[in-house]
This record gives sequence, C-alpha cells and structure tokens, in this order.
Amino acid sequence: MNARDICIRGVGAVSSAGWSAAAMHEAVLAGNPMPSRPCARPGNVRNWPCESRFAPPAPPEKVARHPRLRRSSAITRYSVAAALEALTDAGHDPASPPPGLGILFVMMNGCVNYTGRFYDEVLQNPAQASPLIFPETVFNAPASHVASFLGVDGAVSTLLGSPNSIMEALDTAAFWIGSGIVQECLLIAAEECDWLSAEGLTYYHPKLIASEGAGALLLSASGGGPRVREIIGPLAYLSWQERCELLPQLAAQTLAQVQGPATLINDRTGIHKLDQAEIAAWSARPWDAVLSPKYVLGESMGASSALQLVLGTLAVRQTQQPVVISLPGSNTAAYSCVLTP
Amino acid sequence: MPFPSSQRIAITGAGIVSPLGSGWQANEQSLAADRTAFKPVELFDTRELIAKTAGVVDLPAESLFRRCPPHKQPFIDRGTHMLLMAIREALAQAGRSGLEGIDAIVVGTSAGAMPLGESYFEHAHHDDARVPAQLSRAEHYQPQRQMSSIATEFDWRGPIIIVSNACASGANAIGWAAEMIRSGRAKRVLAGGYDALARLVFAGFDTLRALAPSGIPRPFDAQRDGLALGEGAAVMLLEAEEVRQSAALGEVSGYSTATDLHHLTQPDPAGKAAIRTMTAACAQAGVSPAQIGYINSHGTGTPFNDVAEAAAIAAWAGDAVAGIPVSSTKSSMGHLLGGAGAVEAVICLMALQGQWLPASLNVREVDPAVRFDLVRQFRRASLDYALTNSFGFGGTNATLVLQRRSA
Repeated sequence: MNARDICIRGVGAVSSAGWSAAAMHEAVLAGNPMPSRPCARPGNVRNWPCESRFAPPAPPEKVARHPRLRRSSAITRYSVAAALEALTDAGHDPASPPPGLGILFVMMNGCVNYTGRFYDEVLQNPAQASPLIFPETVFNAPASHVASFLGVDGAVSTLLGSPNSIMEALDTAAFWIGSGIVQECLLIAAEECDWLSAEGLTYYHPKLIASEGAGALLLSASGGGPRVREIIGPLAYLSWQERCELLPQLAAQTLAQVQGPATLINDRTGIHKLDQAEIAAWSARPWDAVLSPKYVLGESMGASSALQLVLGTLAVRQTQQPVVISLPGSNTAAYSCVLTP
Repeated sequence: MPFPSSQRIAITGAGIVSPLGSGWQANEQSLAADRTAFKPVELFDTRELIAKTAGVVDLPAESLFRRCPPHKQPFIDRGTHMLLMAIREALAQAGRSGLEGIDAIVVGTSAGAMPLGESYFEHAHHDDARVPAQLSRAEHYQPQRQMSSIATEFDWRGPIIIVSNACASGANAIGWAAEMIRSGRAKRVLAGGYDALARLVFAGFDTLRALAPSGIPRPFDAQRDGLALGEGAAVMLLEAEEVRQSAALGEVSGYSTATDLHHLTQPDPAGKAAIRTMTAACAQAGVSPAQIGYINSHGTGTPFNDVAEAAAIAAWAGDAVAGIPVSSTKSSMGHLLGGAGAVEAVICLMALQGQWLPASLNVREVDPAVRFDLVRQFRRASLDYALTNSFGFGGTNATLVLQRRSA
C-alpha cells in the first residue's frame, strides 16, 4: 500500500479564520486576508513592524478538558481541537476513538511559547526556572498530549521539517495502515505564534505575516472520502535558485496526472518575490479555481501544508473534481499532491 | 504491532561519535577499558546549576563541511558536525564514498539545532533593531536546514525524514528506516540520531532535578540520584539483503514502538509500554527472551526510569530474566537524548561483532528491582542477538533487536 491507496475520512482545522475547517474554507473562498495585529515583544520594543494573524479565542464548545491540557500551550489546544473535529467528521465518537488509531504529528517550529519562556527564565536565573515548563518545550509534547487525550497507546510519532514534510508523513501513514500497525491514522500538523517566530519571518520578507493553527486528517484504507491519488516529490533543492528551476518540473509531472477540470491550492503568500516561481510553474493549464490559503490565513509554517490538505479535501467533496496541492517548500524540497473524489 | 515480512535488513556500515571518542575503534577501546567520559561543561554557563558536568565530545578543530562557505560555517550546529562525522564513518565502513544509491536518510533528534535558537533568542532580546545575522540563525535553527548542509556536502537530493520523539528519536529513526526497507518502500537507508549539548536542555533537566548532583550517573544502583547528559551521534547504513554491496556487520531483525500514557515525563511504574515493545520486537525478530544475549537498557540512572525498566524486563523475560545480561552505557558517556538510541544500537552492533558486553559503571549496591544479570565490568561473551530500549519524554518507547552476522 502507498499513499495513493488511502482516503481522507475526516478533517479538522484551527486557523486564523476560526476553530473549524468550515470557517477556514469560507474565509479562503472569500479570499480576503484575515486581520493581523502587532506581535508584541515581551519586555522590549522593536523598531520595525511585525504583525501576526492569531487564531481567535476558542469558542466554549471547542475547549477540551483533560488534566494534560491544563498546562499545555496553544499548539496542543489547536491540535486537540482539530483532531476531535476530524474524528467527528469521519463519523467517530470522539469520546471513544476507534481502536488501532495511530498519530503522526508534523511541525517545524513547535512549542515556541514555552521554549521562549523557559529560556528567558534560564537566562535570568536558571536556579529558579520552572520545572513544569521544560517538558512542554519538547517537540513531541503536543503529540503526547493528543495521544493521552484520545487514549492512543500505539504508534505515535513526531516529524520535524519543512511544512511539506507532511507528504512523508502521509506516505508513512499509508504504510502503517497497510501493514496493520494501525487501523486508522490521525495526521496532525500544528504551530503556535510567538514573537520570535513572527520576527523571524520578517527577516525572510518584511511583509510575511506569521500565523498559527492546526490541520488534522483522519486517514483510513476504506470508509469513503477523497483519496490521495498521487504524491510527487521530493524534488530536493539546495538553493532558492534550484528551487525556482525545479518547480516547472514538479508542475509538469503533476499535471500529467490530472485530466479535466481541477482546482489548484497553492502556497501563494501575496508577496511577488516569494511567489513568482510557483505561480509561473502552475500557469500551464487553466484551473476551475485557485485557492491560496496562506495569502488569507498567514504563514503558519508547519501547519500550512496540513491546512492546504484540509482545504483540498473540502474542495474535492464540494466539486467532485481533482484538487492539486502545490507544496514548493522553502529550503529543502518541493512536493505536490493530487486528491480525487 | 510489528510489520510481518521476511525481508532481511543488513547493516553494512556504522558510524559513532560519543563522549568516549570518535569512531568505532575509539568507542570500543573505551568501553573495553570501562572508561567514563564526564568533564566540566564549558560550552555554556553552569554556575547557577546543580550539575556542572556532562559527556562532552571533542570536535576536531578543522572544518568538516568542505562545501559550506566560511561565512555559513558558524551556523552549522555541533550536533550536525557529529552527525556528519558518523555518516562519513558509516559510508567508509560500507565502502562508499558518497550517498549515491541511498533512497532516504532518516535521523532522530530531540533538540535539533537548539544552540542556534538560543543565540537567536539572545540577540532578539538585546537588540531593538534588525540584526542581519538573525536570518541565518532563524534559517539554520530549522533541523531540515541543518540536514540540508549535510545533503550539500554529498550533493545528495533524496528525502530526509527527521523524527523527534525525545529520547527515543534515534531508535525510532533506525526502526523507521528498517520499516521502509521491510515494506519495500526503500532498499537502502541511512539512519541514526544525534543531539548536542544545549544550555536550555541542560538547564531543563537540572530544574527537573533529573541530573545527578555528583555528575556520576549510576544506573541500577540502589542509591542512584540522576542522569548525566551527553552528546553524540550515530548512524547505520541499512540495506535490503538482496541489494547489499558490502559485508553485513549485523542485521536489524526487530523493531517496535508504543506510547506510555502514564505521564509526560515519568514512566508507568510497571513499564507496560516497554513490555509491549520488547515483546513485539522479539516477535518480529523471531526470538524468545532467552535468546537475547545482551540488553543495552535505556538505563538513565533516574529513580523512576530504572525501576520501571527493571520491572518491564523481568515481566517480559519471565523465567529467563536471570540469564540475560543487561547494562546501561549511559553510565560511561551520559544520556545522549535524541542520539542515545542510535549510539546504543551501534554499541549493540559492536558487542555482537566483538562478542563482548559493555558495563554499567559506577554501581555500588544493585537496586533490589534488578533481577537480570547486571553487567558491572566489561566482559567477553557469546551472543547472537542484542536488544536496546529507548524511552522518551512524551511516552514514546522503542525497542530494536539486532542480530549478529559473520559475513
């Protein structure tokens, strides 16, 4: 079994557009960037603008209760909410998740709020740094919390990397399911905003606005739902120049797999310098629709590819047409993915 | 549940960098001499911390990254240097000059390039203006960017998978790679793990009171009082048996992973997840506990870990427990976090090749929970299978079973 044999039974999302996949879908279809606000530096000022598109406060019905979640930071709360929505969307009772469930988690930045806070305490006085915070800084803390919340004691793993490393996770999920290691797999990617990440993005481009959230997909060998028809990549590159040269090749390989009307979900930020190679690469054919979640929601780093996949799933359900997802990455490799009804 | 397959997975190269030394030979000699490698940490300020020593790797002074321009060299993390050294040794052992024909690289790390993140934080805190070097710090803090430096060194463009399951990361990476080959998704995978000492992590374990105040870890000692941190890297070149092009040093014959839901940082006292991974890994390898000739335990030296692991080994092994030699090489080099599982897997491979057992050092009085044969001095032995356990924060447990090969 490979990724092309698995179906996406359920999806969930938390984003700057709200605490559901539907809210994100609606916002991206409308095409207007979500509001941003200054991302403050604690105890200091900066002399250049730096904004973020934060997720709104959680509606009461989305606040999950569990001992592990009392101390957890936003990234875990987003992940749990997205996971529960995906399970519900697939027809499962989130109070009793299906047996044989596995969890694959993808992130790039991880638990940055507690990491920054803990390191600040270490710099001030390490003897008084909080032992309660340190464990929450570890990359796999959110996956552990989600597993604990759902009672998943089997295969649970966290991958780091570019947002598009979720494609490797998809492939692995297919293997886990196909080999019987798990019956179904929750694939989650999440990030949380903090001032350090937001500033970091402005070094890439002053207009790049950080965002946050989580995307979750419940994957299964059967049960209906859009299918992952093709994963193209990785087309690895060692420089931005190589990336620009590879994207037409990625698009050509992908478009050879797609006939008839289709939707493109790209990685466009709205910043010409960052987007031009990708936009040119995918311009070889007409699209029924082109959706740009990053332009609307902001740069949610590790979560962004998962949000594209969630959006793609909803688009397939709505149009019953193929959806191409462009995942050019920024510093290691490019991928694309084709979802079909 | 293990993946059922008859696919044999040969280990044709291995590289190891640890506080005991760089390379197979240096580590073998140190283990044979029951040497420990702890010394004062000078990489960052430890004055306000309880623990002040660790297993520190002495990196060579010259640049290891030949294709990296000089102005980018400071942004390559210590851990990445160690990983490159281990990769070069593994490739040389397999008779390879580069990564041609390798389908994927799978590495585990817990902290990634944390020191670069720390540097980014400190500059952001102190400067209210934009600092150009912050872009390089932000970029190279990302683990995939560090791995891209290694890919550039070999002009390699294959998939790189970075597993981060805390202290089980290295073992998970090797297991992940083995699964890729066992399932037919790959024929040849380079896999391992690494982590370098970082101030945040060191302070974190210190605040948890997990570090031995004396700086001497005593796994399975009745009065053990904590672990010592270390740093290092190890990799293995895994090849499907039918495509291997050089002599097999050993075989990855079993792997399993499970999640302990007891607590974010503390193991279930009965070690239930560990029992499951040891049972499943041995089932995949087709061996019984009595056939395991050596266990390289997770054995951190913390009160909770060691008693839970001892209970798990006893429950898993049953009547065979007294005859199973067990040690913790963390007693000599410290806990290498994301690198631990890979380094300890390579030590198992060395033990299988050399037919010896490394020791659990510094033990004064054996903990009453220990029912296995605790190896307290280096000794010669006859063994065909070795098992290594790795348990991480967050509850990830992983077990690898390695098999001796003579050709």
